[in-house]
Amino acid sequence: MSPTKPGTPGRGRLLLPAATVAATLAACAAPAPFPSPPPGAPAPQGGAPNAPGYPPPATPAPAPPPEQPGAPPPRQFHMGAAATALVSQAQNQARAGNYGQASVTLERALRIEPDNPLVWIEYGRVELGAGDAAQADGMGRKALQLATGDPSAQAAAWHLIADSLRARGNNELAAEAEQHAASFSTR
Amino acid sequence: MGAGLAACALYVLYLDRMVVRQFEGRRWTLPAQVYAAPLELYAGLPLTQPALEHELQRLHYRRVALPDRPGTYRLQGDRLDVALRAAHFADEQRDALLLTITTGAGGVQDLRDSQGHELPVIRFEPLLIGSIFPIHGEDRIVVKPDEVPPLLPAALKAVEDRKFDTHHGIDPEGILRAMWVNARAGQIEQGASTLTQQLVRSYFLSSRQTLSRKLREAIMAMALDAHFSKADLMNAYINEIFLGQDGSRAIHGFGLASQFYFGKPLSELDLPEVALLVAVVRGPSYYDPRRHPDRALARRNLVLKILADQGVVPAADASAAARAPLGVGARPSGAYYPAYLDFVRRTLRRDYPDAALTEAGLSIYTSLEPRVQEQAESALERELAQLDRARRHPNAHLEGAVVVTAPHSGDVLAVVGGRDVGYDGFDRALDARRSMGSLVKPFIYLTALESGRYTAATVVQDQPIDVKLVNGTHWRPENFTRQTYGPVPVVRALSESLNLATVGVGLDLGVPKVAQTLERFGLTETPALVPAMLLGAVAVTPMEAAQLFNGLANGGFHTPLRAVRAVVSADGKTLKAFPMHVTQVAAPDVVYELDRMLVHVMDHGTGRPAQALLPPNLVVAGKSGTSSDYRDSWFAGFSGSDLAVVWVGYDDDAPTGFTGSAGALPVWAHIMAGLATNSWNAPMPESLAEIEIEYPTGLRVLPGCSDDRVAVAVPAGAQIPAKPGCGFPSAVTPVGKLLDRAQQWIKSLVH
Repeated sequence: MSPTKPGTPGRGRLLLPAATVAATLAACAAPAPFPSPPPGAPAPQGGAPNAPGYPPPATPAPAPPPEQPGAPPPRQFHMGAAATALVSQAQNQARAGNYGQASVTLERALRIEPDNPLVWIEYGRVELGAGDAAQADGMGRKALQLATGDPSAQAAAWHLIADSLRARGNNELAAEAEQHAASFSTR
Repeated sequence: MGAGLAACALYVLYLDRMVVRQFEGRRWTLPAQVYAAPLELYAGLPLTQPALEHELQRLHYRRVALPDRPGTYRLQGDRLDVALRAAHFADEQRDALLLTITTGAGGVQDLRDSQGHELPVIRFEPLLIGSIFPIHGEDRIVVKPDEVPPLLPAALKAVEDRKFDTHHGIDPEGILRAMWVNARAGQIEQGASTLTQQLVRSYFLSSRQTLSRKLREAIMAMALDAHFSKADLMNAYINEIFLGQDGSRAIHGFGLASQFYFGKPLSELDLPEVALLVAVVRGPSYYDPRRHPDRALARRNLVLKILADQGVVPAADASAAARAPLGVGARPSGAYYPAYLDFVRRTLRRDYPDAALTEAGLSIYTSLEPRVQEQAESALERELAQLDRARRHPNAHLEGAVVVTAPHSGDVLAVVGGRDVGYDGFDRALDARRSMGSLVKPFIYLTALESGRYTAATVVQDQPIDVKLVNGTHWRPENFTRQTYGPVPVVRALSESLNLATVGVGLDLGVPKVAQTLERFGLTETPALVPAMLLGAVAVTPMEAAQLFNGLANGGFHTPLRAVRAVVSADGKTLKAFPMHVTQVAAPDVVYELDRMLVHVMDHGTGRPAQALLPPNLVVAGKSGTSSDYRDSWFAGFSGSDLAVVWVGYDDDAPTGFTGSAGALPVWAHIMAGLATNSWNAPMPESLAEIEIEYPTGLRVLPGCSDDRVAVAVPAGAQIPAKPGCGFPSAVTPVGKLLDRAQQWIKSLVH
């Protein structure tokens, strides 16, 4: 197990191709870019040997060297096609003032990519629009937890947190959050 | 005489008014329908074609050569063409459509509609998993005339009431004919009551068979016939009539009967299926196709013969249909998950009065995932049977409960309330409050990490403890092995669930501090603040244990567990949504540090036996729990996408003789192994560094320095004593960031 494993989609079980995992883990000398899961290229990690019909476990990825030199390569999250479609649907619903439906749609996107901070940030933005700044803050912090290693996602999460603090009149902490955001933007 | 006639006329007039008023204002009580989570399809979903076909079969889709009717599909190489039914979801209605799914070895590759347009995401319809009906009450699904296959009214008329279209509510000629036919056949082939009379009997009257009641029935039938159209009466009959019994639940109307016996909408029924339902009308108990399949088959084939004789269907079709099997599933169709429904009911009763749930025709959309539920049920049933055999207690049956959640959302995916999964009784997942035992330990160590005075590598003392209690007695806890282990690193104390080391840490932190941590993660009642709390003298239900561990699985974020996503009214309006709520309750870095240790429970500690049952590369984290005298066997653990809590014990609280690792762990491992779940691989926060320590001693080591190493995450800059002669510049080297670790590693290679 390595902390540098790619971000994973979860319930939806959209997964990285095994080859990419192997290449990333083996990339000691020349760090490969840290991709987010591309759609249409599943490679289950867990597998279910006794569930007929479910895909077999992926071929074992080579174990990472125990002490891996080199800083973890920066990663950059992207949303797959399904999550992208759902997020844009939710944005339309929110623009029409239908925040309830927008959150149902965003939860669908999260079920497909629960570990993608960008989906959490979009959800937080909709919550902020709906006037629930506390939820927006929670979603921003959840995004931040997942965004480790992706400076632009980290910056976006801090911006969301700053906006939610400002919406609750907490300008001092909001300014601090903006500073965090700026520190990631300049990296 | 005159007075008698006048009284009689008044009585007829009274019945007439009563029938018209009641029938005009009729509203069937419509129990809320409860739906599972729909399966989301998208390119990249790792479900293979056989797995997708299994999902379609669960929804009772039929494989055909040409899928032109909703509810059918066709397989062609790697293509799966599905005629999806019209469906309603929590957020939208969708019309029927043709969907083409292309799959490869890894799962879904491509989704297109009939025009060839690519679809980024589409759902199968949600599985109906039950309804909320009154105790000993009627359950039904009301159908509109356009949802009824034309064959059904034609068959009902042919078999039950040939003069329906022309008589005036009663049919004197029919009574005579029925007597004649039945006498000749020596069995009841034809009933004497018209459909209208049957409707009156079911709708207005009790089932007492008296002459005055027969008279009343006839007058009311004529009154109905005089005031309402035949089409209206036929539709009322189709929705009203009793067609089966499922425990305390009475199956009314052909809409529900179609779901109950065949698991699909009435509009999709074929000739043999329609004939079976018409056969059942005569005696839902006597001709119960599940309990008396031979009788039901004979009666169905008689119905088919009548239909052919009457020219309702061609004789060739009838004889082909007579060769078809009954087509009724072994257990009530769709699904029956009483423990899950119990959780749904309790959630809703907070907001809705009983009548709203049992009468108003609500649709309830839940988080239940049938695949996960079935896996949890079968794992519990199978493993408890195995454990019972191992115990050789002939009269005692172990019981158990399971809760499975999706940590990121708090969605409850499965609930099993006991080993008899179809039994709607004591729901252990929600009502069995048992000592959590060692499940409390992760929360003690989380409190320790938060204090800043402990890391995963901190060496703590596993030594005898003697606490003088306020009542003057002494509390002297022991390890399960009754041995002491001396100085051990925190990661080992947690992995091996060492009581003495943990109590020492807990007393150092203070019992109230640990209780506060539990409350932050969702414990609703403050536990008794006694030292024994540090060994899990805190009673929780499996659902509450799942709530506590959900926060650990979700990186320190609390999300209230929820079964219900939305409640939608009969006319399609969302009445109440239950959106997810996310609250940070612990810093991501301490939770990560703790979770990494819970991974070592699985490779070095009490979770180790699960390794043989899990896929080889699956990374999971968890903790066993055993309460005093082995009364409760727990296991709580999670992967990257699923959390499961399992409890095993006796209902009377008798000792089981099992630790958490022996009782609950195999159930847990079988559930996880069957879920196609993702590895736990939360990203390591930037404030932490990963180091390797020697598992027995906690000393920092480099590869080649020790045979028994574990990787732990500790705060960057933490002072971890190094193993002498291991290439570190000094005995205590601060843990650096990844880069300087790398330099050390390179240095160790050069040495």
